[in-house]
Amino acid sequence: MTNSKANRQNPREPASELLPEEMYARLQAQTRRHFLRSFTAGLGTMFLGTLVPPLVSSSMAGEVDTNGMRRLDFTRDPKSPLAALPPQFAPRAKRVIYLHMAGAPSQLELFEHKPELTKLDGQDCPMSFLTGKRFAFINGVPKLLGSQYPFHRTGQSGPWISDRLPHLEKHIDDLCLIKSMRTDQFNHAPAQLLVQTGDARLGHPSLGSWVLYGLGTENQNLPGFIVLLSGGNSPDGGKQLWGPGFLPSVYQGVQCRSHGEPVLYLDNPAKVSRSLRRSMLDAIDEINQESYAEFGNPETVTRIAQYEMSFRMQMEATDAMDIRKEPDAVRAAYGSKPGESSFANNCLVARRLAERGVRYIQLYHWGWDSHGADAKEALNIGFADRCREVDQPMAALLADLKARGMMEDTLVVWGGEFGRTSMRENRGGQAMTLIGRDHNPGAFTIWMAGGGVKPGITFGQTDEMGYEIVKDPVEVRDLHATILYILGFDHHKLNYSYQGLDQKVTGVKPSRVVADVLA
Amino acid sequence: MTLSVHNFSSRVWFGLLTLAPILILPVLVLFAPPDGNERAQLLQFFGRFHILAIHLPIALLAMVPVLELAGRSRRFPYLLPSAGFLLGAATCGAIVAAVLGWCLARSGGYSGPLVTQHMWGGLAVAFAAWLCWVFRARSSESHLDPVYAIALLATVGLVSFTGYRGGQVSHGENHLTEHMPAHLRTLLGLPASEISETVSSNGGPATFYGARIQPVFTGHCIGCHGRAKHRANLRLYSYNAVMRGSKHGPVIKAGDPQSSKLFHRVTLPPTDDDFMPAQNKPPLSSGEVKLIELWISAGASGTQLTDSVKDLPSDAAPLTAVAEVNFEQFDPVAIAKQRAGLAPIVAQLQQRFPGALDYESRGSADLVINACLLGSKFGDNDLVALTPLSEHIVVADFSGTAITNSSSSVLSAMKRLRSLRLMHTKITDATVQALAPLSQLESLNLFDTPVTPAALTVIGQLPKLHHLYVHETKISPDAPMSEAMKEKIIF
Repeated sequence: MTNSKANRQNPREPASELLPEEMYARLQAQTRRHFLRSFTAGLGTMFLGTLVPPLVSSSMAGEVDTNGMRRLDFTRDPKSPLAALPPQFAPRAKRVIYLHMAGAPSQLELFEHKPELTKLDGQDCPMSFLTGKRFAFINGVPKLLGSQYPFHRTGQSGPWISDRLPHLEKHIDDLCLIKSMRTDQFNHAPAQLLVQTGDARLGHPSLGSWVLYGLGTENQNLPGFIVLLSGGNSPDGGKQLWGPGFLPSVYQGVQCRSHGEPVLYLDNPAKVSRSLRRSMLDAIDEINQESYAEFGNPETVTRIAQYEMSFRMQMEATDAMDIRKEPDAVRAAYGSKPGESSFANNCLVARRLAERGVRYIQLYHWGWDSHGADAKEALNIGFADRCREVDQPMAALLADLKARGMMEDTLVVWGGEFGRTSMRENRGGQAMTLIGRDHNPGAFTIWMAGGGVKPGITFGQTDEMGYEIVKDPVEVRDLHATILYILGFDHHKLNYSYQGLDQKVTGVKPSRVVADVLA
Repeated sequence: MTLSVHNFSSRVWFGLLTLAPILILPVLVLFAPPDGNERAQLLQFFGRFHILAIHLPIALLAMVPVLELAGRSRRFPYLLPSAGFLLGAATCGAIVAAVLGWCLARSGGYSGPLVTQHMWGGLAVAFAAWLCWVFRARSSESHLDPVYAIALLATVGLVSFTGYRGGQVSHGENHLTEHMPAHLRTLLGLPASEISETVSSNGGPATFYGARIQPVFTGHCIGCHGRAKHRANLRLYSYNAVMRGSKHGPVIKAGDPQSSKLFHRVTLPPTDDDFMPAQNKPPLSSGEVKLIELWISAGASGTQLTDSVKDLPSDAAPLTAVAEVNFEQFDPVAIAKQRAGLAPIVAQLQQRFPGALDYESRGSADLVINACLLGSKFGDNDLVALTPLSEHIVVADFSGTAITNSSSSVLSAMKRLRSLRLMHTKITDATVQALAPLSQLESLNLFDTPVTPAALTVIGQLPKLHHLYVHETKISPDAPMSEAMKEKIIF
């Protein structure tokens, strides 16, 4: 090895006096050793840093975030990672019930009254609607499609509404309609991810996780972020829609079922008593504690906390999910039948969870993708069924929250992931037998209620065809900023250091709180 | 090799090594001058040490003449040799401080004549210190070289000038004269008092500036001309900042919109290179331009009231449409002070009722109690424990707890309550009667309680109440009640 040769040199001799060959040999030996010794360790540290961000990065991050503002402190005792923390400023609501209509309901059949479009029904779509646009299925020149259902004015605030939501209509004066929502995604999964996590790509925490991270939860016997599915299918975006992304995994949404065991494998197996389960958990905890003491991985603490919560949940979750405990009259108001996996049951469960201090309750109802390719989703058939499935339960939920005074501190949000086109879908350039609309990221309608939102108003406006926004566009990140504001946060300040950036749900593009919808 | 580096003495090495940065720095100042933009964080990080580093060479340079004089006296001859070392150290210190100073000026958003003069002054100090160090070789114990003496005096003079300019940059142009006693002012021929900006103009919301003009700047300009980023050293976040102008001088000429640079730049054709807002950002609407014109014509005042300006453009947005939220900022020290009195009791009760009691927000000393999760475990005896905090509780939820009418006095002592929830409890009309002193109460929830229509009389007298929840009580929608009550009651 060249080392032996190098070693013969007097170590005190300055390097410049060495022969170039000797220097090269010495350097070679050194760089190799240097690399092996310190650089692998360095790389390993960097890799670990990305794997184990929570404690490492929060302790490394300074008092000031990358926006130059004083950082809010979200550190908690690792043993109770879901402990409630006060919001930044006085909140208007302390919990959220988010009703996501997966598949994107047609605003033109529900809230957007466009007589001009109805007049032009069946005519060729103007080229200006098509140039530079991307569609999921529309090909060539489609025909304009007027609303499939009659509209009328309603309530004291007097907005137009179709005949599909007769129950919800009674609460129209409690709703704040935003008709100028906009997204930049035109396929379901990325668009749902954008609406739920603030980013169309995988790997970002959902809004519920952010809220849980920021506020924690009041009831330590239930998850703080619960997800309920209905409509026969999971949303296209998958479990990532309620995933924790780069936040510690303890902040993820917990998917519960509204019939049978609320959480699979929550009950003790046959012949296992609660005390046996307790001693088993104690043993596992001890091992986990040892592992945490040795490696310091905060995910181990998460694991311990999750085991403990599951144990406490055995009692409380089953009770919270059990809608048989509701009076018949209440169940009838929602149209819920115990044992089904329905939106009605989920709405009722949502109210029970809200009463029990669950911070963020997320409902998904699948089946709104009304392309007209199948009777189950066509505007004239399946769409009407979807409306029936959600109309009465939504209205009952609003009525129930109102009667219990919970509208004061609960924010209810309803909406899909994008809108639908003013043109009739012509899949493959062919006329279709059933009626449907393609995806339109350019404009869609959502509504909010409760939680310090101005009731009985309509914000934003689309053109006469209901195709593009002409007034007050609201980006998805603006909606997120607004929801966080309602919960008592400046969206810039609810952040988390990850990959060298103070990450926010609203991302890096400018976002604003839509102050006009706040009471 | 005739000119080997080994032939140089260490003295020449030091001289050349220190001269190099002194020669490089002017190039930096000329070609990378401070231009009012903020740059790399790292540069700023180092730059901030300028203020720390600067004091060492100042003190050292000030000491050199003292040592030179004292060392020539009979009492302190041993001081003389140290003057040379001190001079060398001061030169190094001046160079380091100048480099850091350039870092700060270049990256910290500085610009303007003050900074430029300060920078050239700093460079001159470094160079003069270096010259002194060179010329000192010509002096000896017995002989003080006149060139050296003059150079030394000049250096001390330069230090004073540069230091004064530096003080003006960081503490304001009048930092020396601001608090000068009046008789000294008159002696020096200064005006009798500084004009206090804060008194003469505030731009509050009732003023035309605050209500109409600042929102325009806030909406269109502060992205580039704000606190953090201030292109051309122009800051448009407050009246005083606007009137201070840019590095090129004032941008507003009161009474004369056409000569006001700001007005000129926003009214150019959008294709013009000087047009503002630059970089294809949305231009000001004609109404907003008109507002600025009106404001400048009327004297560009910060105190003129909103309604005193006539001829508002028809397309100026109505005042209520300026919808922007202000994120409440709080001072953690002040909050800690406010909480100091109650913090021990709060901490103790948080132990006793886990998860039930907390501050309303991080910026508040007000408390929120939510006992509903404790359910029947929370009774009258527990509620009494909250008595020391009565005045601080603004939201209280005792739904589903075991409290009874015997708690009514504790509840009535919570005089600042905005929201009170007593759902699913045993409280009756007697408790409701006791709530009369709750003058701040906005929302009262009696859902599923044994209260009767008799309670409505007292409730009707609560001045701020706007929501009353009585579903599943003996109060029915047909119960006789006033029109005002019908507005508030929710079944």
